[in-house]
Amino acid sequence: MTTAAPSESPAQTISSPDEQYIQVKDFSFWYGSSQVIFDQTFDMPKQKVTAFIGPSGCGKSTLLRCFNRMNDLIDGIHHTGDVQVGGESIFDPMLEVISLRKRVGMVFQKYNPFPKSIYENIVYSLRVAGRSKKSELDEVVERSLRSSALWDEVKDRLQDSALGLSGGQMQRLCIARAIANQPEILLMDEPCSALDPVATGKIEELIHSLKRQFTIVIVTHNMQQAARVSDRTAFFYLGKLIEYDETQKIFMNPEKSQTEDYVSGRFG
Amino acid sequence: MASQSDPTADPKRFDVSKGTLRLDNFMTHFIKVGGVGIILAVFAIFLFITWQVLPLFESAKVQEEAVIETGVADFQLVGVDEWGELPFMVDIAGDFTFVDIKRVDGETLVLGPLGVYKVTPKFADEVTFTAANYHSKSEEVIFGASDGRYTLVKVEYKPVFDDRGERKIEAKLKADKFYPLGKGLGAVRVIDYYDADKDRLVAALVEGDSGLETRATTFQRKKTPFGVGPWKPAKEYDLTSQIEGHPIKVLVTGQGNGVLVSTREGSVYSFLINQGEISLEQVFQPFEGLENPEIGSMDWLLGNESLVFTSAVGDNVIFAQYLPELTPEEEKAGVERKRQFTEINQLPKLDGPADLYSHSMRNRAFLLGSGPEASIRYGTTGVVRWEKSLDFTPKAGILGSRYETMLLADDTGRLHFYSIHDPHPEGGFKAFFSKIWYEGQNEPKWIYQSSAADAETEPKFSMVPLIFGTLKGTLYAMIFAIPIALLAALYTSQFLKPEYKKVVKPMMEIMASLPSVVLGFLGALWLAPIIDTRFPSIMLIMFFLPLTALIVGYGWGKLPQRYRLYLRPGQEFLIFIPLLIGIALIGWNLGPWVESWAFVYTNPDTGVATGDFRLWWPEHTGVSYDQRNSLVVGFMMGFAVIPIIFTIAEDAMSNVPQFLTSASLALGASRWQTAKRVVLPTASPGMFSAIMIGFGRAVGETMIVVMATGNTPIMDWNIFSGMRTQSANIAVELPEAPKDSTHFRILFFGALLLFVMTFVVNTVAEVARVRLRNKYKTVG
Ligand SMILES: Nc1ncnc2c1ncn2[C@@H]1O[C@H](COP(=O)(O)OP(=O)(O)OP(=O)(O)O)[C@@H](O)[C@H]1O
Ligand SMILES: [Mg+2]
Repeated sequence: MTTAAPSESPAQTISSPDEQYIQVKDFSFWYGSSQVIFDQTFDMPKQKVTAFIGPSGCGKSTLLRCFNRMNDLIDGIHHTGDVQVGGESIFDPMLEVISLRKRVGMVFQKYNPFPKSIYENIVYSLRVAGRSKKSELDEVVERSLRSSALWDEVKDRLQDSALGLSGGQMQRLCIARAIANQPEILLMDEPCSALDPVATGKIEELIHSLKRQFTIVIVTHNMQQAARVSDRTAFFYLGKLIEYDETQKIFMNPEKSQTEDYVSGRFG
Repeated sequence: MASQSDPTADPKRFDVSKGTLRLDNFMTHFIKVGGVGIILAVFAIFLFITWQVLPLFESAKVQEEAVIETGVADFQLVGVDEWGELPFMVDIAGDFTFVDIKRVDGETLVLGPLGVYKVTPKFADEVTFTAANYHSKSEEVIFGASDGRYTLVKVEYKPVFDDRGERKIEAKLKADKFYPLGKGLGAVRVIDYYDADKDRLVAALVEGDSGLETRATTFQRKKTPFGVGPWKPAKEYDLTSQIEGHPIKVLVTGQGNGVLVSTREGSVYSFLINQGEISLEQVFQPFEGLENPEIGSMDWLLGNESLVFTSAVGDNVIFAQYLPELTPEEEKAGVERKRQFTEINQLPKLDGPADLYSHSMRNRAFLLGSGPEASIRYGTTGVVRWEKSLDFTPKAGILGSRYETMLLADDTGRLHFYSIHDPHPEGGFKAFFSKIWYEGQNEPKWIYQSSAADAETEPKFSMVPLIFGTLKGTLYAMIFAIPIALLAALYTSQFLKPEYKKVVKPMMEIMASLPSVVLGFLGALWLAPIIDTRFPSIMLIMFFLPLTALIVGYGWGKLPQRYRLYLRPGQEFLIFIPLLIGIALIGWNLGPWVESWAFVYTNPDTGVATGDFRLWWPEHTGVSYDQRNSLVVGFMMGFAVIPIIFTIAEDAMSNVPQFLTSASLALGASRWQTAKRVVLPTASPGMFSAIMIGFGRAVGETMIVVMATGNTPIMDWNIFSGMRTQSANIAVELPEAPKDSTHFRILFFGALLLFVMTFVVNTVAEVARVRLRNKYKTVG
C-alpha cells in the first residue's frame, strides 16, 4: 500500500482508488447563487497528509466540509462534478450520510468538546453506533487517548468534565474523539489556530504519528506547519485549485508564480 | 501633506465629547432608576397585599371602656341593644333595670341623662317568677312562674333622634299573657322556647307531683290576613320517665321540633317531635371517658346547629348533628339514617365549668365565663380569640349582637363595658388550611363557600380547594401542553427546514398573544359541547395520533434510502400531516361506534341501553361528569401555554451552539441522536425555564378557567369535573365582596398565595436552571 512513489506521480492524475483515496472530479460548489468552488479535480493519497493552503475565503473549508457532507445542513447548496472516497461517490443518493461521516472524521478549527466527561466525549461515536460494552469502550478510550498523546495527562480524571481541560488538551481530546471509531479519513480545519506554539507542536507531532493509520487532510494558514506536517499541498485561490503537488515542491519550487508569492508571504 | 496627517495636528482628538459623557451618565442612571423602580413596585404590591391580609390573622382586641355602678345585685340576666347603649338587668321579681349609656366624643362611655332606671313590665297577673331566660335574637325574656306558667316580655329597642340630631336608644317592654305548661304543675326551674311562624315549643324543668319533671309543650296560633291570633296550647309531653338521672338544663332545637335535656350525670337526651309524637332519638355523653363526665354547661351557638358544652372541670367541646354512614349490617337490616350529635370540635380548657355564656349574633363567636376567667372563642375553628383573668367574678354577661361590645356584670351590680375589635374571627391558619368539621357535614373537610345565605350559616373559607383547583387546572393544562410544546420546539429547531421555520415561529408567537378571554369563550361555547358529545372520538384521536406518529416515524427510518429520497430531510411532514389528518378523521367517525359498543349505559328505570359516555362515566366511576370540565380547561389553557413554552424552548434549542451539533453529526450521529444527546441536555436550562414560565402563566390564568369550567370549588382529580382556581375565585367574587370585609381580605389572601406560589415556583426554577446551566455549559 505504501509502495507508491509520490514523487514520480504528477499532480492531478487519477490512479487507483486504493492509493488515491479521495478523488475530486470536476467539482464545483455553490452557496445559493454564489459559486465558491470552481471545477476542481485532484486526488489525495491514502495514509498521507494533504495540506490545503490559500488566502482566506478561497473555499478551503467548504471543500473540506464537502468530504463528509457537513454542508448538507446549509440551505440552498448545490454542486456539480463528484467526490469519491475509496472509489465510492459520496453524493450517491443511496449512500447513508451517517455511514459516510463514520468513515470520514473531522476536527474543527475551534475545539468543541461536549459538556460531558472526557470519557463520554471519546466514546460518543461508539455510543451513537449502539456499542456500549464497557470493556470495549474502556479500551477505545485508552487507545484513542494514547494515539492523541493525551493519555498520561488525563488518565486519572476520565470522569471529569472535558471543559476543565486546557485549550490544547481539548483540541487533542477532539482528535481522540474523532479517531475513536477509527475512521479512514481525518479532516482537520485549522486545528491549531486557537493554540499556542507548544500545543501546536504537540498536535503536529500527533498528525505525524496518525498518518500511519489515517488519511489526513488539513487546512492551515501556517506555511511552516503545512511544510512540516504534510506530504502534499494544494494551493487554492478564489475557489480554484491553483497548484497541487509534493509539499516540498510547492514550497521550494512552485510552478505558478501565485503559489510562490503566497508561500513566500509576498501575497496580497 | 505630511504635516496635515501629523497625528499631533488636532489636540482635541483624544477628547470625549461632553454630550457622549452626559448621555452615557444619564442612561446609566435612567436604567438604574428604572430597574430599582420595578423592584420597588413589585415589592410595594407585595407589601400592600400583605397589609390587606394581615388583619385576618390577628386575634381579638378587647378593652374595658367603663364600669358603671347599678346597685342591682340580685339580677338574673343581662341583655343589651344592638348599639350597646341601653343594657338592662333583670331580677327575679321581673323588674328590668335599664342603664343609659352615652358615648362622649365617640370615645369615653359615661352614664347618660336617664341614668339607671327601673321599669316593671305590665304583667297580666301577680305571680312569683322562678326562672328567666333571655333570647338575644328575638330580644325576649321568658319568665317561668311558681304556678307552672310562663310569660314572655319583649324588649322593643328603637333608635330616636332628638332636636340636635343625636341618636338615643329607647326601650319599651311588652309583656304577654301567661300560658300554662300543663296542669297541676309547680315552680318552673329551667325554661327554653322556640317560636316558629305558627308554632311554639316550650321546654321546661318544672316541679310536679313526682319532683322535678321534664316537660315540653307546644302552642299554636292562627294567622289571618288581619293579624295573628293568640297562642293556644296544643300538646303536652311529659319526658320525665324517659330520662335517667337529674335533669339540669333544657334547650329547644333550632327548628322548634326537638328538645335537648342534659342531666347532672353527664348525659344529653335528644328528643324529636314528629307529627305530634315525641321520640327519644339519641342519648349521648359529651364528656364520655372523662373521669368526671358531668356537664357544666350546654348552650346553642348562633344558628342553633351547634351545642357548646363545658365539663365540670372546664373542658370545652362543640357538638353538632351529622348523618352517619350505615354499616353494611345496618343497611341490610333496613335501618334508617338518622341525624346524630357528635363532637365536631374540641377547644382549649377553661379553669372550671362555664357559668356564663353568650353567643354573637354575627358569627360563630361565643363568650364563656368561668370564675374570674372570661374567654371569647370561635366555634367553627375552635380558636380562642381572647382570654383574660379578670379582677372580678362576672355573674352574667352578654356579647353585643354586632360583636362589637361585651357586657359583664359582677355580683355587686357593677356593669363592665368592653369594646371588642375582632373584625375577622373567621380567619386564621386553621380556617384556611385545616380540615374543619362544619355544621351539617359528615366529617372534617376542606370547603370553600364564601357566600353564606345568611349570618346563621357559617362561611367556609378553606384555601385548600382553591389551591387544589389551581394545581388541578395547571396540571391538566401542562400534561397537554408540555409534550406538544417541547416536541414541536425540538422538531422546529432541529428537523424542520429553515424556510418553513420562518413561517412557523412567528405564527406561534401570534398565538401566544391571543387574548385568553377568546380562548375561554371558544372553550366554553365551542370545545365543551364538542367534547361533551364526542368524547369517545376525541379519546380515540388522542390515542391514535401519537401512535401513528410513532409507527410512521419508525417505519420511515427503516425505509430503504431509495424510497426516502423523494423527500428531503425536513420535508417529511408533507406526507406526515395528511396521514395524521386521515387518522384523526377515522378516529372522529369511529368514536360514536366505540361509544355505542364500550360505553353502554342502561337506564335503571326503563331498562333501555344507550351508548352514552356522559351517563356511563358517573355510573362506572362514581364521580361526576360536567360539561365544562378539566379536560376543556386542559385543552384551552394548554393552547394558551403552548406558544409560550414553544417559543422559549425553541429559542433555547436553536441557541445550542452549532459547533456542538456539528461535532455530533460529524461523529456519525443521526439528527435524532444529536437532538437527544446534545441539543436536549444543552438546552435543558432553557426548556426548564420555558416550562416554568408556562406553569406560571397557567397558575395565574383567569379568564379561561372562569369561562370554561363551572367554577365549583370541589376537590377531586376527576378529569370530567371542574375546579375553581385561586385567580378565577378572585375574578368571580371580588365584585361582590364589600371592601375590608373578611371575604374581601380572604380574596387578597388568595392573591397573596398566588403571589407566593409563583414566587416559589420561579425561585425553584431559577435555582434549578442555574444548576443545569452550570452542568451543561459549553466552551466559548
Ligand atoms: N454557509 C455559507 N453560506 C454562504 N456562503 C458561505 C457560507 N460559508 C462560506 N461561504 C462563503 O464561501 C466562501 C468560501 O468560504 P470558506 O469558509 O470555504 O473559506 P476558507 O477558505 O475556509 O477561508 P478561511 O481561510 O478564512 O477559513 C467565502 O466567500 C464565504 O463567504
Ligand atoms: Mg476556513
